[in-house]
Amino acid sequence: MNPQPYLRTFTAPAALCAFGFLAAMAAVLQFSLRAYVPGSLEPGGFTLANFMDLLKPLYARVFFDTVWICFLTAASTLIIGYPLAYALVRMQNAIAKSILLVIVVTPLFLGEVVRTYSWIIVLGNNGFINSVLLDLGIVHQPIQFMFTTFGVVVALVHVTMPVMVIMLAAGLSHIDRDYQKAAESLGAGPIRAFLTVTLPLSMPGVVAGVTTAFAWTFSAFATPQLIGGGRVNMISNLVYQLGFASFNFPFAASLCVAGFALTIVVLSLLRLAARPLENIRPH
Amino acid sequence: MPRSAYQRLLGFCGKLAVLLILGFLVLPAAVVTIAAFNDKAILSFPPQAWSLRWFARAIAYQDFRDGFRNGLIVTVWSSTIALVVGAMFAFVLDRYRFRLKTAIEGILLSPLVIPHFTVGLGFLILAAQIGWTRTYAVVIVCHVVLVLPFVLRSVYVSLRNLDQSYELAAASLGAPPLRVLLTITLPLLLPGLVSGWLFAAILSFNEFTASLFVTAQRTQTLPVAMYNYVREFADPSMAALSVMYIVGTAGLIAFANAFLGLGKVLNIEQSR
Amino acid sequence: MAQRAPIAKSDDVAVRFKAVTKRFNKIVALHEVSLAVKRGEFMTLLGPSGCGKTTLLNLAAGFFSPDGGEILIDGERVNDVPTYKREIGMMFQNYALFPHMTVAGNVAYGLRVRHVPKNESDRRVGEALALVKLTGLEDRKPRQLSGGQQQRVALARALVINPTVLLLDEPFSALDKNLRTSMQVELREIQRKLGVTTIFVTHDQSEALSLSDRLAVMLEGRVRQLGTPEEIYRRPCDRFVASFVGDANVLRGRLDRIDGAHVVAIGALLGVATSAPVDLYVRPEHLKVTEASEPCARRGTIVAQVYQGGHVDLFVECMDSSRERLLVRSAGHEAMTRWPVGAQVGISIGTDEGVAFAVV
Repeated sequence: MNPQPYLRTFTAPAALCAFGFLAAMAAVLQFSLRAYVPGSLEPGGFTLANFMDLLKPLYARVFFDTVWICFLTAASTLIIGYPLAYALVRMQNAIAKSILLVIVVTPLFLGEVVRTYSWIIVLGNNGFINSVLLDLGIVHQPIQFMFTTFGVVVALVHVTMPVMVIMLAAGLSHIDRDYQKAAESLGAGPIRAFLTVTLPLSMPGVVAGVTTAFAWTFSAFATPQLIGGGRVNMISNLVYQLGFASFNFPFAASLCVAGFALTIVVLSLLRLAARPLENIRPH
Repeated sequence: MPRSAYQRLLGFCGKLAVLLILGFLVLPAAVVTIAAFNDKAILSFPPQAWSLRWFARAIAYQDFRDGFRNGLIVTVWSSTIALVVGAMFAFVLDRYRFRLKTAIEGILLSPLVIPHFTVGLGFLILAAQIGWTRTYAVVIVCHVVLVLPFVLRSVYVSLRNLDQSYELAAASLGAPPLRVLLTITLPLLLPGLVSGWLFAAILSFNEFTASLFVTAQRTQTLPVAMYNYVREFADPSMAALSVMYIVGTAGLIAFANAFLGLGKVLNIEQSR
Repeated sequence: MAQRAPIAKSDDVAVRFKAVTKRFNKIVALHEVSLAVKRGEFMTLLGPSGCGKTTLLNLAAGFFSPDGGEILIDGERVNDVPTYKREIGMMFQNYALFPHMTVAGNVAYGLRVRHVPKNESDRRVGEALALVKLTGLEDRKPRQLSGGQQQRVALARALVINPTVLLLDEPFSALDKNLRTSMQVELREIQRKLGVTTIFVTHDQSEALSLSDRLAVMLEGRVRQLGTPEEIYRRPCDRFVASFVGDANVLRGRLDRIDGAHVVAIGALLGVATSAPVDLYVRPEHLKVTEASEPCARRGTIVAQVYQGGHVDLFVECMDSSRERLLVRSAGHEAMTRWPVGAQVGISIGTDEGVAFAVV
């Protein structure tokens, strides 16, 4: 009897998709090694010039900025998101929990453009924050949020929050409440019990959340594009500008390849740094 | 256990913090809603007069209508294809062993860590080389690849949670493998399949970055159309559209939560 | 449902295992096991976890193939026959009732697969449910039923298709004691009435003793002893069977002589030199507590009394060199007052019931 009757039928379509995807990635890789022919969509011969160009200060700067923005976003999201995740997990009221969950998860499904646009209205010189501040007389001139790194990070934090909260909540939900009760029964106050028991046990979730947030922010495009407005550039924006403004696909491709390598490196470093933390696991 | 004043203070601070954070989360949506009803063309706060005209304009605007239609076409095709392909392969992942299994699985899951602009660029270049640049096909294929990891995970988790003894019992009662699949496995997997499909559809409809690369003028999806609008115009039409978007999505999520339980969906990582 | 006339246990074999071997990775789960299950008999596979009993059952069901040997059902080799082509009925530990079908749907499933026409199918489902005393619950869903009810549905489902052999995998382990006992009795009644060959797997030796026509005691992939419950209980063939089935006291002694009357010995003692040490396995109900002054095999102190309702278990610590701790079962409740904790007593071996094994 055949223990695997549907192997071929069920695997073929998936293999086809995998092949298609590989072909697309191969195309990127291939183009990154070809020369740019201005005014044409066809690339020239093989060259490493694209990668050499990446070392120029102009582009190196973008790499650095990207990493910095990702790091800021991940850290801020962690700090702001943790209390929310904690509340989500520890809350008793089922209805409040549902509402909270819907509020947290919905932005995830709204799409980048809607979310980013909403922030433009909040952060703009005529936007919500400035209008309120001006009306209340706290400032006399609008504060510039748009086209600044701060504005981009704020919007990115908002965009990344649902993911972080969900991963943190998943990690927290696996911690038995009895641990904290045991600590309190031994005399630790609530804050101390949290810091010495719950927080360390939540580390796997924290690590997962931070790595995901980082990888995800790296992929961000609409937010830095619309709020950064050309002044704050991440790798994604550069790829787009090169690809569509100058049709310099080869260079755009090399940016993608280098960017991907960078992500791998940073994530591996994060993983390594977090290894001692990951050993703390609740049963 | 009576709570001390200290514990109550802590609890209060905690609740306050959570409320503030929630306020932060909800702020843009609230602001956009106010802006959408603004009568004037310039975005300003607070609005002096209220009107619904931006909603009318948003609905009537041809690029938005085309974007919506294109988005539906792409979404229905890509989420359905992704469901079929993903469900079949998840089955193989759960039950079978063969040499290339891990490799294929790795490749299909990698869009989770590869930025969408890279995927978009890749498919654009590929399309250019085979002459597909202005077709729906390239958009659909791109979306399938992007959405597949989520469908795979969703169906795989459902399969793992399925007690195999039902299928063994059916076999012991004389049902051949195909019959077991159709009468036992599929019906029991239905919630996982539906939520996977729904999830894929929402992600595909809202996908922006890769779509920006692979769509052309005539195939552009709604997010791309919205992006193009924002770059040129500053009126609250986009705000109106955003409000419709938010209400629609929140409704879908609440529906999914009530009938399918968001917990199942949340077993998976999320992406834009 | 067609009732088979109860057949006297003849030599007609329904299921035969011939030198069956099964390996999982490097572990040998079954080592050349041979077993013949007669038509209409209730055969139990008994043993601790890991002994291979469930593996043997699953091989009969066809969930996997043996690595060596043959399995024959109704005289035909079925090694390569897939599960759905074997005419078996199976009951699972967790019942495995299809949650998306009603009770009637569940029971009718096997009939539908066999393309039995609706009229006949409905009739047979009705008969099966009546057999397990669940008439009237046809339209309920499994989750609306109690554990005992679900179990009966599972039984009805397996029996309605007239299987050649009924396979049960520890079906009662999830039930509480009273329900378990009543279900055991019912199962046996139904099985006798229908005459269906049954292979039952359990680790509970009292269940095995009460239900079976014959039982196979297994350990580490081998059958240690095959026999009727009485044979197994009274004449265990080795130490494992003696201690696994029922409680046993082990008394060290010396072999005095072998003759028909005085040493109950299995072949293992032949060839043992006279006055060599042997271990005598005696059941708790075959030991008697007497006054310490009377002639007895051992002397000791009562260290614990356990009241069991119908009888009393007394734990005795022997004072002499053997230092054995013995369990004596005393019917009724007089022992509670007659032999209190701390009393000095003598232990005598009541009958000829005992099995001796050489000390190696």
